[in-house]
Amino acid sequence: MGAFAVLLAPAIAAAQAQAPKGLGTEEFGMSPRELVQAIEKTEELIARCMREQGFQYIAADHKTVRAGMSADKNLPGLSEEEFVSRHGFGVSTFYTGLPPQLATGYSPARVGLGERNVQIFRKLSPADQVAYNRALLGDDTSSTLAVALEIEDLSRTGGCTRKALTETFKPDQLKATHYNPQDALINKDPRMKAALGFWQREMKKAGFEYGHPDEIEPDLRNRLATLTDGGKLLVSKMSADQKTALRKLQDFERLVAAKSFKMQEEVLAPVEERIQQELFSRKVQ
Amino acid sequence: MVAKRVNVLWAILGAVGGMALGAWYMGSRIQSPAEMAARTAAPEASPILVPVEARVLSSDVVTRGTVRFGLPQPISIAPSTVKGAVGLISSLPRPNTNFGEGEVILSASGRPVFVLSGAAPAFRDMAPGTSGGDVRQLEEALARLGFDPGTVDGNYDQKTSGAVERMYRKVGWDPFAPTREQRAAVAAFEREWSDAARAQLAAEATRETAVKAVAAARATAEQNTRQAALDSAARIGDSRQLADARAGKSLALEAERARAAHSATAASADVATQVADRALIVLDPRQTETARAAAEAKLKVARAAQRKAKLEADLAIQTAAREAGLADERIRVAEGAVKAARLEGERNVRAAQEQQTLAEFDVQVASERAGRLERELATARAKLGVQVPADEVVFIPSLPIRVHEVTAAVAANASGPVMSVTDNQLSIDSQLPLEAAPLVKPGMKVAIDEQALGIKATGVVETVANTPGTRGVDGYHFYLGVRVETTPVPLAGFSVRLTIPIETSKGSVTAVPTSAVSLAADGTSRVLVDRGGKQEYVTVQPGLSTGGYVEVDASDARLVPGQLVVVGYKTAEPAAVK
Repeated sequence: MGAFAVLLAPAIAAAQAQAPKGLGTEEFGMSPRELVQAIEKTEELIARCMREQGFQYIAADHKTVRAGMSADKNLPGLSEEEFVSRHGFGVSTFYTGLPPQLATGYSPARVGLGERNVQIFRKLSPADQVAYNRALLGDDTSSTLAVALEIEDLSRTGGCTRKALTETFKPDQLKATHYNPQDALINKDPRMKAALGFWQREMKKAGFEYGHPDEIEPDLRNRLATLTDGGKLLVSKMSADQKTALRKLQDFERLVAAKSFKMQEEVLAPVEERIQQELFSRKVQ
Repeated sequence: MVAKRVNVLWAILGAVGGMALGAWYMGSRIQSPAEMAARTAAPEASPILVPVEARVLSSDVVTRGTVRFGLPQPISIAPSTVKGAVGLISSLPRPNTNFGEGEVILSASGRPVFVLSGAAPAFRDMAPGTSGGDVRQLEEALARLGFDPGTVDGNYDQKTSGAVERMYRKVGWDPFAPTREQRAAVAAFEREWSDAARAQLAAEATRETAVKAVAAARATAEQNTRQAALDSAARIGDSRQLADARAGKSLALEAERARAAHSATAASADVATQVADRALIVLDPRQTETARAAAEAKLKVARAAQRKAKLEADLAIQTAAREAGLADERIRVAEGAVKAARLEGERNVRAAQEQQTLAEFDVQVASERAGRLERELATARAKLGVQVPADEVVFIPSLPIRVHEVTAAVAANASGPVMSVTDNQLSIDSQLPLEAAPLVKPGMKVAIDEQALGIKATGVVETVANTPGTRGVDGYHFYLGVRVETTPVPLAGFSVRLTIPIETSKGSVTAVPTSAVSLAADGTSRVLVDRGGKQEYVTVQPGLSTGGYVEVDASDARLVPGQLVVVGYKTAEPAAVK
């Protein structure tokens, strides 16, 4: 058997040296170049689609979309830890019911759309604003391209954004069940499995039933969507019960985010970095 | 031993099998550089073929707009004079309620307020007898509603009244009947007219009397004149006699004078006789004294008789002369009497005529008053028909309407502005980029749609602003107004897509995707046509290009719809993205 192993060793090594497809370091397993190309192409398609709908939309460059992606859980003067401890993941804690273009505070979606598009939107009549966002984003007005890429969930997108994504991304990437191949690979690692098991147990002790950190934000978004009629209900028009429920959800978000972040930093991040270094010879940004 | 050999054989076979499997596996994994190159080489490009189409090409301007109804206009209720007091609103419509012609838009104090189509607002009560533009509007509206107001002439007549009554009845309301004040006014008119009629009859009787008095005065005057004339004639006859007397030819005077001369002659003769007798007696001595004395006495008597006759003749002559003098006076008196009689008659006639004139004037005044009162009575009686108070109808230039905002409240006074309405004509406020504005002209057809809502309609460009930045659009856009044509879809409030074809190919043309057209080295345009696997360039003349297609014209008919043209070649798919 030893000779057999010796005979097979070169083939196994060759097989390991060949990097699997879709294991780029960026979102959806894309390489940085592929991500830039995907963003630029998607934005052009969105702009064309919006023109066909009769709206003016300036295709955002990849830097703008990148800025929107980077704005997630990021406020000036706050570290990510401080942000999470104060605002959780920023899902329900910054909810206003306003479209992202009219947001005045924290809004990665607004940053990702670009200032010119925000100004175009603000000059529209209320009815046109609704139609604009429906044409651009569909039902979920928070799922801009930048946000969808950042959270790696294209399933919530709609309108021209969805239409453009169908031409630039594969069908399985558009599904909610799609998982970043790199993350999937990391999650298969026994060390990560062990770390995730520990994470689950600790979270459960804290009263949070999640199997993976990536399950928390979608769950929060679903809860918020249920509470706010798909994100269309203005906070100012909420009933007292709805406001109470929103406050509870915000408190829950802060708690679960803080616990998850702490566990992730202490338990998961070191393991993930080690595996990434082994896989890609560098830490993924 | 055999078993051992068998085991060795099995071991060898196993080793050989394992090596065979390993060799197979490695053979499947290990590739030669040539194989690697062949495997990783780009696949042979295969053409992407699309069919040539016959289609209508249209170059469009696409924009968005918000649908709205017409601009709000206030509805005001005019005060009614027949009602006296302003009513209190008892029911109001809800915003967004639509109203058509002849419908009741609100009610006040138990009375309806109809909405009718008309350019001028209702400003007065309309009742039988009134006429004008507002009545014409009412008649036109009644005619449109099918109530037949008779001739549409702007006069509120009995047919109009009947039509109004039917309009009220149709929607379950009683028509507006005459008020107590109106009936009282008619009764007063009737009394006045009755008095006036009696006064007219009295005046006419007076006039008849005056006429007769004039005739009587004339007759009396004529009679008096005739009598005076007769008297005058008699006086004139006397005057003629007097004139004869004056001329010494008066028979009486002459007779008197003749009689006086005769008497004087007789008396002289008698005196002479007596003188002669006395002389005879005196000279006759035989006569006695007594005879002498008797002769003397006779002479004296004769002389006395002579003197008497002379005196009597003088007296008769004087009397006759006096009588002649009186005749002039009598003529003058007679002439004066005739003149006086004539003047008296004339005066009496004039007086009678004046009385007649006054009587006729009285008759005229009385007749006019009676006529006027009769007309007024007729008017007042006519007004007792069904009427339309000013606060029971509102005229709107364009119907149907939609309630935009209700400004009045229930129990408030039904007077003045009570709500604002818009017409039911849908319009779209939109905008055009600077470069597109010159291409769009009023009257162009517009396709209206909203895919998300499944809305489809058509419209017409109504307005394109001359300058950018007007009517609420920013300075980099021109305002675009679009009128929505009839559509069953309630579009108001929606944001819709507007597609305005600004250039079309005027029918189906041969068209290919723009990517199918390439430039040849000589500058001509061409397409690569696939003819059963064999490809051939066909020179074309490109035309209108829009929507990803370009109109092509191959003069030699070598390009027809249905043929396949090459638009590109299939290449390998990217790793992460398509």
